[in-house]
Amino acid sequence: MLPRTDGFHWTATHLIFLSLFFAALLIIVSTLLSGIWRTVADFRKHRANSVCWRETFQELPENERHCRHELAGRVASRLCDNAFDCRTCRNYAHFAILPATWRNGVGVPYSDRLLYHRGHTWVHPELDGTFSVGLDEFANRLIGRPDSVQLPEVCAELESQGIAWSMSRNGHHIRVRAPLTGTVIATGGPDQDFYLKVLPHGKPNLRHLLNGPEVPGWLASEIERLQRQIAAPGAPHCLPDGGTLMPNLMDAEPQADWDNVLASTFLDM
Amino acid sequence: MSEIALLDRRWITRGVQRASAGRFALWLAPWFVLLFLGAYAAGLCFFYGLNQTNMDNRFAFGLWIFADLSIIAMGAGAFFTGFLVYILKQQDLKPVLNSAVVVGFICYSGAVAVLMVDVGQPLRAWFTFWYPNTHSMLTEVTFCISCYLLVLILEYIPLLLKNRQLRKIPAFLVFEHQFHKLVPGLAGVGAFLSFFHQGSLGGLYGVLRGRPFAYRQGLAIWPSTFFLFILSALAVGPSFLMLVVATAEKVTGKQLVQNSVYRKLGFISGVLLALYVAAKAIDTYIWLNITSPAVGFGPRDFYSYWPLSSLFLFIATVPLGLLPAILMIVPVTARKRGCLLCGAVLASGGVLLNRFVMTVQTLALPTLSFDSFLKYTPSWQEVATFGGVIAYGVIVYSLSYRYLPLFAARKGADPNASQD
Repeated sequence: MLPRTDGFHWTATHLIFLSLFFAALLIIVSTLLSGIWRTVADFRKHRANSVCWRETFQELPENERHCRHELAGRVASRLCDNAFDCRTCRNYAHFAILPATWRNGVGVPYSDRLLYHRGHTWVHPELDGTFSVGLDEFANRLIGRPDSVQLPEVCAELESQGIAWSMSRNGHHIRVRAPLTGTVIATGGPDQDFYLKVLPHGKPNLRHLLNGPEVPGWLASEIERLQRQIAAPGAPHCLPDGGTLMPNLMDAEPQADWDNVLASTFLDM
Repeated sequence: MSEIALLDRRWITRGVQRASAGRFALWLAPWFVLLFLGAYAAGLCFFYGLNQTNMDNRFAFGLWIFADLSIIAMGAGAFFTGFLVYILKQQDLKPVLNSAVVVGFICYSGAVAVLMVDVGQPLRAWFTFWYPNTHSMLTEVTFCISCYLLVLILEYIPLLLKNRQLRKIPAFLVFEHQFHKLVPGLAGVGAFLSFFHQGSLGGLYGVLRGRPFAYRQGLAIWPSTFFLFILSALAVGPSFLMLVVATAEKVTGKQLVQNSVYRKLGFISGVLLALYVAAKAIDTYIWLNITSPAVGFGPRDFYSYWPLSSLFLFIATVPLGLLPAILMIVPVTARKRGCLLCGAVLASGGVLLNRFVMTVQTLALPTLSFDSFLKYTPSWQEVATFGGVIAYGVIVYSLSYRYLPLFAARKGADPNASQD
């Protein structure tokens, strides 16, 4: 195979054959190394989180990718193609000026003072420039009190759409996405009125968080989705006629496909 | 839901319905039995040597080489589909691309596993790389198959990393994302490697001057069988892929790909098969009238031994060559799923028969005046090893189907379809 190996000859056949073989092998190995190198570079340049989220977003079913403007009734139908990142959406301004429709009685309480993330967390700007982050009422009623919570350390860095904290409930592992980028300065939990307090880097752009008429529209669509998912297999689809989401639904409906429900709720895979 | 069922469910792609863990285990059980039997038979061959087979110095190629040639031809769908999608941008074939990669990976890894048993001394397998005989077609085959298996492993890895649990590890997900961008380059290398080793598998018969049944004239250093094997592999690859997907649809009771994908695969397969039949007819004509008489052999010397009669030649050319080509090309028949799949079965059967003839009939026919017609029946160890490879293929494909996103979900489709 190589010079000085028994059987190697400096002939055209040997050289052409082995050159082609080594060229193919070189391309294969360099492709693998290039893949590893690019992966390492993504982590070093803090792009990994964005890549992971965009990959996850692409795998979300269509009915979980509705644009906020559709949820607010500004457009009849529109799917998000920008991984729920309205900050960089070129069409945001175009749709945002359209008149919205308020929905009433969505079946779960919400607050006008909070900004909501599509992964069912809320954000509240505090007077000291920090932001409190918690689980919204939809998620609280769904899972009830978590069996355990793994919160990040104080001083840990959060990246928007990355994993902020994780919980477990009835054997299900739940990963909650961070609604904003910043440094964790305090941690709470299910017994307090917040899960995290975050100090953003500079003035944060929170345009990707839902507010105003988008929130009831979004929660209503989430409840519709939930009803479809926890319905008994083969049961006909039913139209909701009011009512509220009951607390501790995971315990009340243990036979439901909670793996799927939780993944849809928390934008996981 | 039991703990095992819950654990199993977590590894299954979100939004798709799969059979219960118990039902799936029941499906796999007989295949695992066959796999273990094959592993036992292979173990006997490793431990006691190749005397466990019915091959000998004269009949050195048997069931295993037939299996190798066949499954490598069937696995051609992997490189060809990759070539069509990534290089020729035939995006409508994308829904079967993942399946093609898995089929290719199974075929090539299975073929290499059988070869390891067949060479008898797998610990010395590296000799072929370190001391290559560059005048041997087999060297080229070994090099290309090894490299292409690496390519297939690398193409399979991103698919593996798309598993629901594995993709929760950020490094895996980012690697999958980045590596996916590089796959077109690998597809190009795969096409290059496949082109040559598919050809060299045919070429190694065509250069056998001492075997007039196989010996062919050709172009430069490549006998005509070199090109015929490439063409037949290109033709049968899409057909076999169609059959695998159709079988998966039948077993799972779901429509996995659109009919248009079948039509396209069938058309490609049919056109290439028609070309192959035409080229094979010309080759056979030249061989029987010029090449063979020049060394003192006529058709009677090849086709007067039952059951390897001229009927084989007719069957391979017309019912298993021309007929499937027509079935898959003519719109009236190609529109019907049944006709299309029938064509795919016949096309695959034709290539299997061709590989059998080239392997077994070539060695069975007498070449010297004092030779007799040889007969070969594989031993149970050979059959069991072959069966083990089939079982390995079914198991890997079943696991891939269950735990990996083998078929892209159709946009807007209801994921909660019937259970398989």
